[in-house]
Amino acid sequence: MQLTNEQLDDLVLGAVFLATGGGGDPFVPQLLTAQALKRFGSVKMIQPDELANDAFVACIGGVGAPTVSLELLPSIAESVAPVKAFEQQTGKKLDALVSFEIGGANSLVPIIAAAATGIPIVDGDGMGRALPEAQMMTYAIEGVKPTPAIACDYEGNLTTFTTGNTATYERHIRSLAMSSGGMITTIEHPMSGAQLKAAIIPGTVSFSIELGRVLRGNRGTAEAMLPHLQEVFSHSIYGECRLLISGKVTDKATRIVGGYDIGSAAIVAFEDESEQLHIDIKNEYLVATQNGELKASVPDLIVIADYETCTPINAERLRYGQRVAVFAVGCPDYFRSEKALAAVAPKCFGFDLEYKPLESL
Amino acid sequence: MRIGIDVGGTHTDAVLLDNANILASVKAPTSKDVVTGVISALTNILQGQQVDTIDAVMIGTTQFTNAVVERRQLAEVAAIRIGLPSGVDIPPMTAWPDDIADAIGRHTYMIDGGFLYDGWPLAELNNQQIQGVIDDIKEKNITNVAIAAAFSPMNAQPEHAVAEAIKAQIPNVRITLSYQMGRLGILERENAAILNASLLPFADIVVSAFQNALKDQGLSCPMFISQNDGTLMNAKFVRQYPALTFASGPTNSLRGASQLTGLKNAIVVDIGGTTSDIGVLQEGFPRESNMVIEVGGVRTNFRMPDIQAVAMGGGSHISSDGNKIGPQSVGHQLLQKGLIFGGETLTATDIAVAHANLDIGDHAKVATLPSELVKRATDNMHELLDRHIDMMKPNSEPVPVILVGGGSVLISEDLKTASEIIRPENAAVANAIGAAIAQIGGEAEQFVSYREVSRDDAISMVTQKARQSAIEAGADANSLTVVDIEETAIPYMDDGNTRVRVKVIGEVAKLVKQEAN
Repeated sequence: MQLTNEQLDDLVLGAVFLATGGGGDPFVPQLLTAQALKRFGSVKMIQPDELANDAFVACIGGVGAPTVSLELLPSIAESVAPVKAFEQQTGKKLDALVSFEIGGANSLVPIIAAAATGIPIVDGDGMGRALPEAQMMTYAIEGVKPTPAIACDYEGNLTTFTTGNTATYERHIRSLAMSSGGMITTIEHPMSGAQLKAAIIPGTVSFSIELGRVLRGNRGTAEAMLPHLQEVFSHSIYGECRLLISGKVTDKATRIVGGYDIGSAAIVAFEDESEQLHIDIKNEYLVATQNGELKASVPDLIVIADYETCTPINAERLRYGQRVAVFAVGCPDYFRSEKALAAVAPKCFGFDLEYKPLESL
Repeated sequence: MRIGIDVGGTHTDAVLLDNANILASVKAPTSKDVVTGVISALTNILQGQQVDTIDAVMIGTTQFTNAVVERRQLAEVAAIRIGLPSGVDIPPMTAWPDDIADAIGRHTYMIDGGFLYDGWPLAELNNQQIQGVIDDIKEKNITNVAIAAAFSPMNAQPEHAVAEAIKAQIPNVRITLSYQMGRLGILERENAAILNASLLPFADIVVSAFQNALKDQGLSCPMFISQNDGTLMNAKFVRQYPALTFASGPTNSLRGASQLTGLKNAIVVDIGGTTSDIGVLQEGFPRESNMVIEVGGVRTNFRMPDIQAVAMGGGSHISSDGNKIGPQSVGHQLLQKGLIFGGETLTATDIAVAHANLDIGDHAKVATLPSELVKRATDNMHELLDRHIDMMKPNSEPVPVILVGGGSVLISEDLKTASEIIRPENAAVANAIGAAIAQIGGEAEQFVSYREVSRDDAISMVTQKARQSAIEAGADANSLTVVDIEETAIPYMDDGNTRVRVKVIGEVAKLVKQEAN
């Protein structure tokens, strides 16, 4: 499949839905991707099973504070230079690039790099949604080593990492990001085709495009949209999709703790004011409860969208008074395995509760 | 005493205020040249008044917004971005609609410079690059320039340095620096600066025309113009920042409604000829939108009130079965085209006159309208408004709803969403009152590290900057109070890095002096 500018609006809309409130504002990354596709032409996207087992693949994406990109605009070169340096250092040609996470802006960085280098991208990602830390990626959970990795900043400065485990690597790249203007692009977690096939959440790029098309084509209230969403999710790796509530945001407060946006939101149903949904936020929407009863939790997806249009709303834009719909979507089965839950269950985010699959609630 | 004037699309209103008391109000049609309408409103409001009792004139005008929306009166602008090596693939005016980009010209430049979020230089300024830009601007004979540098709200030195270099070689140049246009977000701030620079020649024309109109009336008091956050700018300031007038109309309408009713928390519906604008009053000020605001299709980061516009106004077309309200409207031609005025078009005003026996126009013209039609159209108008008010309400409780604007006669029945409907006396001139009661504001924003500077010191530093900007705009220093402190930490980053924004507000210096006397 060839990715072109024609699919970009849908891809971004779908990816913001799957970002579950995180991932940052996609406006600037989308502009940049549009420029890259215009300048270099379309990008070849392959399915994971098209890769040979001995193929050489690496992940690429942005690390840092999306807020600084409002001033320090990203460039195409920042996505291209680390790829070239990585090939030079490893002495191997990359057969494909793959994304950290499908949610938000990081779904676009591999496309920019691929457009400029001619390397294909793989249809899939390491999260199936957005999550805040590198060790929550399926690649890391499956034991892929984070390095050799190369980071590139706005000026083209390159930094090489040799680090044993992903959690340590995560700390190192965060501090580099801070001293490099707040945002860097990294190429990391190199792996073989066989490793990738075992770890990747497959098909999420093409699914985002399909999801975006459904959201755009059926723009309307949450109740009207629901059957369309259920249809598209039921044929995907996600499965279940529920409308938890349609109502008004009556409370929203977040503050920064330990580098995260932490807080909560409350949504009161239009029809019945006694019905109130509580959402816990840590960059993303992570836990939904009603009167203390669990309605959905990470790694399942919780999505807040504008009630009238079903356009997803980022956590930083959610505010008191908005009329919203809250959807819950089952996560890919991979994240329900014991070893995946060890990295992404609610307790990994500091919540004192056991994960229960959406379908069982 | 002060005079408030509101220049709208159809009417120019004026009010005479002694402190908060409304002594007189007048309404005149807006003239094509705007000034004639202002003069006529001024003449009427000043009848029987000593001109030397007037301490200030406050004007709210939509002319600059309309210039951008209609792509007229826009000058060509050289847009200079200081931020290389970052941003090379997203030059200025990327993603602008073609027609306005063409109107302003596509004279864009990118050069080295700017800062990072932590104050480290992004790149040093490069004199050779700067000279190249100046040579090109000279050759193209461009005299309006917009300059935007990365993180300039934190450190504006690069914007100033480039501006000085240009002024040294092009003495008649007019320059807008982006850091003076507002917040972080270089693309939106740069867009705001470019729009502002393109309006500078028109701002001279408008301000001079207003000043001459005042002078012709024998008025020698200061003149102020409303900006989008409900505060005022002096004439000199407007000549530099005309774009800050965008959306001042809805803001004035909300502030005026608050003044007229004494309510600090309410929904305000301003029903005009073509649309009903629904806004939310919180503590006497409009709730601000936190979405990116497009002006004429260009993304900007202006502070704008959160307004929901519904396509229903006094001139809205009504379908013959009464089921369809608008969105087409006869607009300012209501007085020619409406049935009650002898025209041929069934409008919302005709329905209201038939339904509620209003004393407007010629009743006989609507006496034969079928009663089901009148009832259905009336119900539909009320339902349409109810639905949109419900979306804007802060919670599900019914709220006081204040109806203002000439089209408020359309609502003659109860609204489900309203705890009460208030139609303040003088509602038709709420905008002019909002302009007249406005104070002068000032705002500043900076990134600080609470590890390096204590929180108190940081806030007082930013507050000082905000006070300075208010005083420059004509505020009395002693009356300034802080109305808002906003602290936003940067996600994913060091806990110490925080964006601090402070807003202060104070009385017009001239009025304070008068009261002291």
